[in-house]
Amino acid sequence: MQILMQLIVSGISVGMIYGVIAFGYQLTFSTSKTLNFGQGEALMLGALVGLTTINFLIGQQIGTFWAYVIMLPVVLAFGALQGSVVEWLGVRPAMRAKSEAGWIMATIALGIIFKNLAENIWGRDALKFPSPLPEASLSFGGIRIQPMEIVVVVGAIALMLGVEFFNRRSIYGKAVVATSNDRDAAGLMGINTNRIITFSYALSSMSAAFAGVLVAPVTLTGATMGAVLGLKAFAVAIIGGLSSGMGVVIGGLILGITETLTGYYISTGYKDVPGLVLLLIVLSLKPSGLFGKAAIKKV
Amino acid sequence: MLIIDNLVAGYGKVKVLHGISIMVPEGKVVALIGSNGAGKTTTLRALSGMLKPESGSITLGGKDIAGLTSHEITRMGLAHSPEGRRVFSTLPVMDNLLLGAFPRLTGSRHKGDVDGDINRMFELFPRLKERRTQLAGTLSGGEQQMLAMARALMLNPEVLLLDEPSMGLSPRLVEEIFVIIERLKKANMTMLLVEQFAAAALEVSDFGYVMENGHIRTSGEARALKNDPAVQAAYLGGH
Ligand SMILES: Nc1ncnc2c1ncn2[C@@H]1O[C@H](COP(=O)(O)OP(=O)(O)O)[C@@H](O)[C@H]1O
Ligand SMILES: [Mg+2]
Repeated sequence: MQILMQLIVSGISVGMIYGVIAFGYQLTFSTSKTLNFGQGEALMLGALVGLTTINFLIGQQIGTFWAYVIMLPVVLAFGALQGSVVEWLGVRPAMRAKSEAGWIMATIALGIIFKNLAENIWGRDALKFPSPLPEASLSFGGIRIQPMEIVVVVGAIALMLGVEFFNRRSIYGKAVVATSNDRDAAGLMGINTNRIITFSYALSSMSAAFAGVLVAPVTLTGATMGAVLGLKAFAVAIIGGLSSGMGVVIGGLILGITETLTGYYISTGYKDVPGLVLLLIVLSLKPSGLFGKAAIKKV
Repeated sequence: MLIIDNLVAGYGKVKVLHGISIMVPEGKVVALIGSNGAGKTTTLRALSGMLKPESGSITLGGKDIAGLTSHEITRMGLAHSPEGRRVFSTLPVMDNLLLGAFPRLTGSRHKGDVDGDINRMFELFPRLKERRTQLAGTLSGGEQQMLAMARALMLNPEVLLLDEPSMGLSPRLVEEIFVIIERLKKANMTMLLVEQFAAAALEVSDFGYVMENGHIRTSGEARALKNDPAVQAAYLGGH
């Protein structure tokens, strides 16, 4: 029982990371019916830019904790910029040409380019990310939790609540929701829906970059860290629904917990399997029609 | 004032409007009538930039707006209450109204008194006031139509386009909608009204245009059109 609880607790923080990445898929899907298949690479770039930034700050005699805090806005800004570039280079031309699959190929291609770029800048080896909090576990009734795991959960929830608050309270947030509801009608309100879509890509990559620096201190950082995370989060997004914020959190938690259970009771060698099997099941149950129907633009 | 001159538009290779000209003078109501598929909705879509015109000019307040995007045209003061209402169904009534004032709230149009205007909308459409916190998707058809009109009015527009505001409503609600159009007219709102109820539309209008297969067939003072035997036979059910 103790072990089971321990596994569940460990699964929660991994699951929240999947949830945040999947949340990023939702952000762009709701406004544009497209998504960034390079979302995992957005996470990876965020983590590596964060690593360089935090190491630089530590080099300036700033303590690891404060270096991490100062690094956050830098990474968020970088993520927003990276997402805007993806939208501008990969998605907008495809949408303008009313191409149904163009954005899929374009965002995958951009993801590969980002990965190559990262390999050339940061190398191919996995790098250690300085942890802003003590790495020794805390013990709650025998269940051990790393302080950083708590930060992951709190940070993920804060991000999603922040976006929700923005959408509900500010007129720009309402404009985002209006664009998701009915893009043409939003245009009739004087809303520049192209700009809203760029914004949603910026926010989506920003979420991924944030997830990257949340997860980096508990795993390792490197050019290849994004691919599998991105794929698994995609499965979560499809299962949880491409429109429901609550759905991706629950989907992420289920996957995260299943993985830690698999890792313990079967073998750590198989811990990526449940997520990928889930993806295969999802794709076979909802084959190409997944985007097909939604992507056909009503004229 | 809205002047449409020789407007040509369509969907891809299919031409729908073959060079139409319509004038909507300041403070006047103009009815655009015609049978199903004549091109009335396409006309309004081309005016508000939902559809890019192929040629011709559209002049709003002295500026040519043909070819601009719909958000640019809206910011210049053209409000369009589209066919099928198109309210933002996952947002409450109140947010739909605020979005109507988006250009005013974000500095691309004179702000004025947004809260006061919301209260005026609640006066004009008392049902919306009762339902201000309800999601627009849960409103009845008539209420959604009222919301679509109120949302368009929240722009404080120079010109208001209404596409079949009576579509699918019970006779009592249709009457209510026409009473509201009458009130807007009294308040000097410039309107282009597309309607299937041609008789009622001509009743509230100053001028009328009859559209057939993407051409303007006849036009003139609303009163004269109402008494025109050809128009009566084709669009007014023969009375
Ligand atoms: N999205 C569209 N794509 C292609 N053709 C369309 C589209 N919408 C309308 N049409 C065609 O344009 C013509 C005019 O339609 P419309 O403007 O909706 O007429 P009305 O509003 O007068 O009933 C019709 O022949 C219709 O089939
Ligand atoms: Mg129509």
